[in-house]
Amino acid sequence: MEEKEITVNIKKYNDKDGAFWKSYKLKADKYTQMTEVLRRIKSEQDPSLAYRASCHMAVCGSCSMKINGIPSLACRTIALQAVNEKNEINVESMDYYPGVRDLITDIDGFYDKIYKVMPRLIADESVLMGENEQRMTPEDQTEVWKFQECIYCGLCVSACPSVKEDEKFLGPAAHAKGFRFIDDVRDTKKQERIELLMDSAYRCTSCYMCYEVCPQDVQPVIAIKKTKNYLDQYKGDTPVTVMARKHDDTIVNLIETTGKIKESTLFLKTFGFGEAMRDAVDMLKTGKFKYAFEKDSKVKNMSEIKNMMGEKK
Amino acid sequence: MEKKEYDAVILGGGLAGLMAANIVAAAGFSVAVVSKVFPTRSHSAAAEGGIAAYIMGNSDPNDDPDFMSYDEVKGGDYLVDQDAAELLSKKSGDIVNLLDAWGAPFNRQPDGRIALRYFGGQTYPRTRFIADKTGMALLHTLFEHSTGFKNIEYYNEYYVLDIVKEGNNVNGLVAMEMKTLNPIYLKSRALLIASGGIGMMYKHTTNSYINTGDGQGIALRSGVALKDPEFVQFHPTGLYPSDILISEAARAEGAILKNNKGERFMAKYAPHKFDLAPRDIVSRSMTIEIREGRGFEGGYLGLDLRHLGKKYIIERLALAYDAAKNFSGVDASEEMIPVRPAQHYFMGGIDVDTTGTNHDLNGVFSAGESACVSVHGANRLGSNSLLETVVYGRETGNTMVEFLKSHKNVETNSNVDPIVDAAYAYIKRETGEHFGVLTEELRDIMWDNVGIFRDNDKLAEAVSKIKDLRVRARSMYVTDKTSNYNTELFNALETRNMLDVAYTMATAALNRTETRGAHFRDDYPTRDDQNWMKHTLTYLAGDEIKISYKPVTYTRWKPEARVY
Repeated sequence: MEEKEITVNIKKYNDKDGAFWKSYKLKADKYTQMTEVLRRIKSEQDPSLAYRASCHMAVCGSCSMKINGIPSLACRTIALQAVNEKNEINVESMDYYPGVRDLITDIDGFYDKIYKVMPRLIADESVLMGENEQRMTPEDQTEVWKFQECIYCGLCVSACPSVKEDEKFLGPAAHAKGFRFIDDVRDTKKQERIELLMDSAYRCTSCYMCYEVCPQDVQPVIAIKKTKNYLDQYKGDTPVTVMARKHDDTIVNLIETTGKIKESTLFLKTFGFGEAMRDAVDMLKTGKFKYAFEKDSKVKNMSEIKNMMGEKK
Repeated sequence: MEKKEYDAVILGGGLAGLMAANIVAAAGFSVAVVSKVFPTRSHSAAAEGGIAAYIMGNSDPNDDPDFMSYDEVKGGDYLVDQDAAELLSKKSGDIVNLLDAWGAPFNRQPDGRIALRYFGGQTYPRTRFIADKTGMALLHTLFEHSTGFKNIEYYNEYYVLDIVKEGNNVNGLVAMEMKTLNPIYLKSRALLIASGGIGMMYKHTTNSYINTGDGQGIALRSGVALKDPEFVQFHPTGLYPSDILISEAARAEGAILKNNKGERFMAKYAPHKFDLAPRDIVSRSMTIEIREGRGFEGGYLGLDLRHLGKKYIIERLALAYDAAKNFSGVDASEEMIPVRPAQHYFMGGIDVDTTGTNHDLNGVFSAGESACVSVHGANRLGSNSLLETVVYGRETGNTMVEFLKSHKNVETNSNVDPIVDAAYAYIKRETGEHFGVLTEELRDIMWDNVGIFRDNDKLAEAVSKIKDLRVRARSMYVTDKTSNYNTELFNALETRNMLDVAYTMATAALNRTETRGAHFRDDYPTRDDQNWMKHTLTYLAGDEIKISYKPVTYTRWKPEARVY
């Protein structure tokens, strides 16, 4: 099989020397996975190279790292597809997590967030005693399986901007896990799960980074959006969910009355007068205040919109 | 050295270990689970096709557990302990229902019951599945279930060094925190070894990088026997060239193996079962085809899924489709998937009875691939490894509960420092050979000489080369002198374990002068029930392997010709 020489630049790290880049040259063919590249570097050139890898088929989630700046699984990356025009690849550890050694990071914080969502099915006692059989439609199984496919690789959290800013946000992976149980007809703790997840769900900015980087196509952001659908059943209001309710109610109200989402009104009603004034001062400073009073055209067929909104209820 | 005490220490966070952990913890005992990876990274995650189960009221109306046991006995070429096979079949439905109750999202039939499909060597369809990531889904289910117990403590990314003995009793183990290289003595009166397989000692394997026979290695060094280590399974459909597993589910769903002439060659070797004959037979047939020039350039054959249609392939065989696409650049709905046999499973393992108890060292238990309950005999059937991990994981867990009730923790008198010193010695040494040189040589020897086709010359050569490697391994040295997640040290320690286990495998293979199941001898091509209807027991005594034998347990099936 035809082989090409490639250069792999790895950002190494250890407690004593800190971070530094090191380059390795080796030959790869069109099927060589990055996990195999790392294994060969370790076995043939630099035995001290530290990285995690196990299944090399994208089901164990060990080999998470940044390849050419993109959060990736090494096993899912084919070396010759990842090289640039100079046949070079850059490999670094994941963002966000504390570095431990070379490509290994400490992701205990990632696991801790998953443990917080009660990540286990609590079936009915009669089922656990073997007295009752659980049934589930194929469609329900497909929905649960979609979010259960998470392999704990941690890439979504390393790419998530909200997790970095807001320590009360559970992060994409924990939300996918949490919602997988909300959605499971066999579970008996739906209400508790809604209480656990709702405040955090509204701390997501829907930026879709998790959607982009997930190697399993779990789409955590969709799980978060689906969790928000249960807001009406949520009981333990927090400042975040109170604001969420105002936001939702205002949107419905604006559409019903004007046919549009008027950003300035939505902002005022969601955040209140005080917050709006503080932001107005900032907007004045940056010359953006004029946009708050932009005139826009009126919606003509209001009756049609009212009908549609009526149907929805 | 830091020291902590538990009722039970479990080595391995895969399906067998976690099932037992859940059972022992539910009985109120304290458990430490020690693993060199976070539990969901265990190799159980890589099991794809499914778990065989006879579920009363949800199976083929003609099927019954006896047919299932018979399939196992015949599939294992009569080296199966028949009481073990019967227990496995009898408890299969029950265990699947338990996994379902704990949250495993099994694929469903339209009426909401658990779905099933055919797998190799089955008289009736029995395989239950979760897409083609059954192992991963079950592993996550058991791990997630275990997070509900406060009395299970995880030592993730801790590497086991050796077992601590007190006379003829086990007294826990010594492990090392990988992040810091700090040793810890985990003391307990019960030790479960559930550390999985040995695949990395073969050049071509479907196994994870972590499968290095650590549990078998520490067992051998403390005087525990490995049973039937000559029996290694080669899976027919490793993806070419990466050896990633293409699940037997593909053939179960109708995929066909073809040679370079486009022939369905399995018709010649297994006129009744074709591509769904047991794995040893299919792998040998493929090797013959390739050897006789009917393979494709580079040495592989074609797995044809095209007639199944793209929609069906993606729905039922997503992982196989993705793997072929990502790792071989093949769209399985348009081209054949390139496949060749690769090492897949170790039928041999730590000698235990059907309760999971080892009788060489009090307090040692084993379950899953690291154990040999003798339920797979000379060849394992597809869908039975997952089943074994959970059925025998639970049986062994229950046995451990009874053991813990009747035994008290023993005092420690032994000095455990030498265990740690032996590990540090690799770092302290300034010259010698790297682990990489030794493992590459071992991987070649095992593949070439202790592989699909064996004979006296190849095996004798393997034994002598492995002996030599073991001597060289004593002067192995580690270039990395830091205590900062020093993976090089752990690779060296893995090499030590692989060499000890490989030594028993090659020796037992040389010793067994017959062909049975996956052990095929060119120089002894037939089964010899007269002389060899017995289990091999191998002990490591210093630099020698001591071999003894143990009878096979029969209940109702007499050996007959194995035709598919």
